Order: sequence, then C-alpha cells, then structure tokens
Amino acid sequence: MKVLLRNPRREIEVVGPITVVKLLQRLDINPETVLVIQGDTLVTRDARLADTDDIEIRPVTSGG
Amino acid sequence: MKCRRCRGPAVIDIRRHNAAFCRDCFLHHCREQVKRAIKDHQMIAPGDRVLVAVSGGKDSLALWDLLTDLEIEADGLYLGLGIGDYSDESGRHTREFAAARGRRLIEVDLRDDYGFDVPEAAAVTRRAPCGACGLSKRHLFNEVAHREGYDAVATGHNLDDEAAVLLGNVLRWETGYLGRQAPVLPAAPGFVRKVKPLIRLGEREMAAYCVLTGIDYQVDECPMAAGNRHLGLKEVLDGLEERSAGAKAAFLFGFYDRGREHFLDGAAEEREGLAPCPECGSPTTGTLCAFCTLRNRATGVEIPVELRVGPSPPTPVGRLPGDG
Repeated sequence: MKVLLRNPRREIEVVGPITVVKLLQRLDINPETVLVIQGDTLVTRDARLADTDDIEIRPVTSGG
Repeated sequence: MKCRRCRGPAVIDIRRHNAAFCRDCFLHHCREQVKRAIKDHQMIAPGDRVLVAVSGGKDSLALWDLLTDLEIEADGLYLGLGIGDYSDESGRHTREFAAARGRRLIEVDLRDDYGFDVPEAAAVTRRAPCGACGLSKRHLFNEVAHREGYDAVATGHNLDDEAAVLLGNVLRWETGYLGRQAPVLPAAPGFVRKVKPLIRLGEREMAAYCVLTGIDYQVDECPMAAGNRHLGLKEVLDGLEERSAGAKAAFLFGFYDRGREHFLDGAAEEREGLAPCPECGSPTTGTLCAFCTLRNRATGVEIPVELRVGPSPPTPVGRLPGDG
C-alpha cells in the first residue's frame, strides 16, 4: 500500500494487510500524534488496511 | 470499533474517554465539549459578539465553525505574519472558509500595517521567531477586538496546547504565568475578555473534526516553529498520554481545579502595575509596551532614552495580558 507521510511530505510503500496500530508501530509513530486516513475516511486503531489501500498518516501536533 | 452512542461503525477512537465515535456522534461530542467549556467557565454570554483569532490551521477554523454552529455571533481576525508560502497558504484557507460561510473576516498584515514581519523581527531581535509571533498576535488580537467593540476574543488553544504551556510554566516555576493561565481571562481596562472554548478537546480531535466536516486547513507545520520548545513539551506529554490515557487532561484540569488558586497573588500584583503605552495606549508593565518595542526595533526606529526599557524579558510561554 502507498502511505503518505507529512513534515516533510513523502510517500512510502508498506506491505499489507496490516492493522493501523501495527502500521504505526512499524513506523515508530505515537498514535496520539496522528490521524490515519484510508482513502477519504478516518479509521480507528483496530482497522485492517489492505495492500491496495491509499493511506495518509496526518500529524496533528501544532507548534504554537 | 463501534460508536459508543449509536453502536455504528466508529471512525475515531479517543482513549482518554475510553470511547470511539462514528462521524455524526463525534461531531455531537465536539459540540457538547465546547458548550460545556463555555458554560462551566462563563466564557460567552447570550448576545456577545466574539472575534475568533483565525490562523488557517485546524484549531481556529474548527473553533469558528463550532461557534457559528452554536449560533454565537463570531467574526474572524486573520493576521498576516509574512512567513513566505506558509502565510500565503494559511491566508487562502482562512479566506475560503470565511467566504464559504459568509462570515466577516478582518485582516491585519504585519508588513503592510506595521512595517515589519515575523522573520524580520526575529532576525533583528536575535530571538526565536515564535516569541515575536506570539507577542504580535496577543497584542493585535486585543487591539483589534477593543477597537471594533467585540465582547471577547476566542482563540483555538486546545487541551494539548494548554497542557504544554502548563508544563513549560511548571518546569520553570513561572508563578506569574501560572496565575494567569486560565480558560478565561476576564475583561479589564484596556483588555478584552479572552476565552479558550476548545480546552476540553485535544488536537487530534480538532484535526478529526476538520477532516470529517470537510474543512480545508493548513496541514503543514509552520517552518519557523520546527523544533521549538512548545513542540518538545508536547512530545513529552504525548509519550505520557500513550502510556497512561487521560494524563494530559488530569494534569490540566487538576491545575484549573486545585492548582491555579495558589498562584493568583503574583498575577494580581503584576496587573496593578499596568499603565498605558505612550505609543499605542495598550496597558503595559513596561515604559513602552512589548509590541511597540518590537516594532521600533524591527523597523529601525530610534527609541527615546526616556522610553527605553531594561533587558528583554524571557520569551513568554503563557497568555500574557501585561504583554501589551
């Protein structure tokens, strides 16, 4: 699956299927600091992502 | 996961509430949290005119949307900071939001209206740009609201923002700032009431609110904020929250309920020492207010000897009504 990351903006490939929580663990991202968007829908930590999905991991932390 | 309210498929989980919500129930949750914050802290009275400080980011646009949804008369104030493409993009998001909802947007541009911008002020003063940015925002939000006759300025400070400010103030035992850190700063001579209706919602919730309502916001981080102290404090708190859900809320709300009362004396003493700035009239504890001092330095204006103040104060991390 294609995974879009931000700050800086970049795209990586991850092999699916995989749950959101496992994906974030693999990328060493604290789930408290991001939203995970599957296509155009928000998904919860237990959601299962398919190998064909387009995923965005959007940071939510602002600097002030 | 299933929605706690309707048992439909959830789109967001919020660990500190041990809950997950579908889209509609999550939006209901956000409205209820804002209503509760406004009611509990008497932020906004019926008929009040509110000026929302809007940056084009998720928090301020969500706040403007939520207040409008709650039928509160809320206009926007956007401050052009002159931070290159980032400011251009932020302004575009703000203008499009206001136009789509038919809301009044007041715009102030630091460069056009005051002769300097944030990068220039940071370079001239050799201080962190976030200090010049925060100082300018606090001053101009109050000045414009005062001039335009608004009853309150609403800012998009959320639970994460306030917990990080609190941690910063505690780490340095900034007793004056601790006394002034509150969901509401009441009106005082020269100061419009300041309110923070998002204190019961985290920034993850605010980003989710924007995604779920289709609000197009500035997702990228301000290039001048990268690596700043505030982000470091948030990283520490996010680590605590991941290990112990609810840690941030317990820290902040415990302070409001049981901690802040111990720091009120210092804040009252500082407010007694306020006098009008000879240049702009804003209340200040210095001879010249901090904003006019910054503007004069950034624009190369010679400051008369009798108006010169002492060494620059430390970069503020709290909301500073005496900051001018």
